[in-house]
Amino acid sequence: MMDFYDSNLVLIQATCTGLILALSIQVPLRMGVFSFAGAGSYGIGAYLAAILVIEQEVSAFVAIGAAMLATAVIGLLLGLLIFKLNGLYLAMATVAFDLIIGVITINGGETTGGSTGLYGVITDFTMGQMFALTVIVLALVALSEVGRTGRRVDAVRDDPELALSMGISLRRYRLTAFVVSGALGGLAGAMNVLVRSAIGPLDIGFGLIVLGLTMIIVGGSRSWKGAVIGAIIFTWLPDILTAIGEWQELVYGIIVALAAVFLPRGIYGVLVDLNKWLRRRRRERRDPPPAVAAEQAGDIDPKPGDVREFALNEETVP
Amino acid sequence: MSAQPVERTSTPVLELRDLAVHFGGVRAVDGVSMKLMPGLIYGIIGPNGSGKSTLLGAITRLTRMTRGELLFDGASYAHVPPSRLARLRVARTFQMVRLLPDLNVRANIQIGADSRTTSDDRTGSRPSWFERLRGPAVSPAVVDAIRRTRLGGFESYYPSELSYGTQRRVEVARALAMDPRLLLLDEPTAGMNQSERAEISGLLRDLRDEGLTQLLVEHDVQMMMDTCDYVFAMNSGQLIAEGEPGEVVRNPAVQEAYLGRKWGRDA
Repeated sequence: MMDFYDSNLVLIQATCTGLILALSIQVPLRMGVFSFAGAGSYGIGAYLAAILVIEQEVSAFVAIGAAMLATAVIGLLLGLLIFKLNGLYLAMATVAFDLIIGVITINGGETTGGSTGLYGVITDFTMGQMFALTVIVLALVALSEVGRTGRRVDAVRDDPELALSMGISLRRYRLTAFVVSGALGGLAGAMNVLVRSAIGPLDIGFGLIVLGLTMIIVGGSRSWKGAVIGAIIFTWLPDILTAIGEWQELVYGIIVALAAVFLPRGIYGVLVDLNKWLRRRRRERRDPPPAVAAEQAGDIDPKPGDVREFALNEETVP
Repeated sequence: MSAQPVERTSTPVLELRDLAVHFGGVRAVDGVSMKLMPGLIYGIIGPNGSGKSTLLGAITRLTRMTRGELLFDGASYAHVPPSRLARLRVARTFQMVRLLPDLNVRANIQIGADSRTTSDDRTGSRPSWFERLRGPAVSPAVVDAIRRTRLGGFESYYPSELSYGTQRRVEVARALAMDPRLLLLDEPTAGMNQSERAEISGLLRDLRDEGLTQLLVEHDVQMMMDTCDYVFAMNSGQLIAEGEPGEVVRNPAVQEAYLGRKWGRDA
């Protein structure tokens, strides 16, 4: 077990940062906000943490806290600027934000290290702390998927007009999406630089958007569990595919394309649908639908093919 | 036009003054005024495209109005954001069924009750942030709404597993779970069979007897005759008649709007 851990430490670290990066894109998508600003926040968080550690010699947790706070505030400001945009227009605006961050890091002079980036980001940040932060983030995101908040997030995404009628402020939820996305992106970037001790312009940019989006499209975009599945697959798959040499990228691309075509709700979506189907079968075996029960009792005469029509007789209501 | 059944000195629950909604050159609603007194069922009838649903959209602030005034309990709410209407306890259903596909029946109804936990101070104590985040699994209001709309047994079903008529019931239950003071129903019985319509009509009359004011948009004239206390007829965005249901249905202008000039005259 320890041998596996030691020999795959980098991949385990990359899984944690990749997962939080994926969540920084998934959380706004769950609220119907097509924002990829999490990738830009990843860059800001990484560089800010690196600068604070190198220049100010702050501890890992101060660097992470500062990175998350800064990226959350930037997320809020960005949200105030563009939250009224929708769909592709919003996506393009956030991609532009990510690209601007990339340009700033290259042209930031000594502060950002230019095209070579920043090195020697050495702190006392441990793998245990990284796990703990990842678990805390997962718990908070999981909490937002259930109960009242989960229902409201579903409403904001699936039917904004209905959400308004239910007293839900779209503005508040959309701005929250930008803030949370920023904070998560900043956390992922800061953690990454603290375990790798270096950051450069090539580590941020458009590739991060593709990586995060691929993780949640294949894993599943409606739940943190999908992000976990996607993060594990797309962190470990390239390593496994090194065995096939130059065909690696082709096979990787085919897997992504097949998943996008045949699993539109991702792997987790398939599991959810399967679970629903099994529960429905169990329920129908145990308790026939109310209308069927009424029909068997001779109370109503449902329309053909409409076996779940409403039961008219009060006696059929459990 | 006859006077409303109960001319009261009390303040109308809802009052529209010269309400207009124009989309470019199209006058979807054009100068509509009406008063809805407490504890009555009002209906709006009219042919397709007469502006009924647009009027409901304007009343719920989902559709931007061009001019006019909206008053709830005598106070203007013309500039209140639509998400704040739940605080006034205004609930509505939509012309097309709008249920959240990933939530089961219970959760779809619970989302209506959720609006009460933040927007309603009648509960006395303010819930903690965790309670607000988590919310109750099932509110008593949801249990009551399920019982009233006779959805018992369907709680764990998803919308895609329900017939259209049952989906409509879930919408009505969701609106009831908001504990409304004003209930706006846009074709609530569309897709239902005759018995179900009669049952919904009975439910609405029961709610009326409990003091709930309702505004009903419906094509089914018989349903309106059986259910409503007072009916408004619309055509081309304007009110063309109002009064007791039977009187409005017999109105030549209403018959002409529904049946055309020749058939309306002969009817």
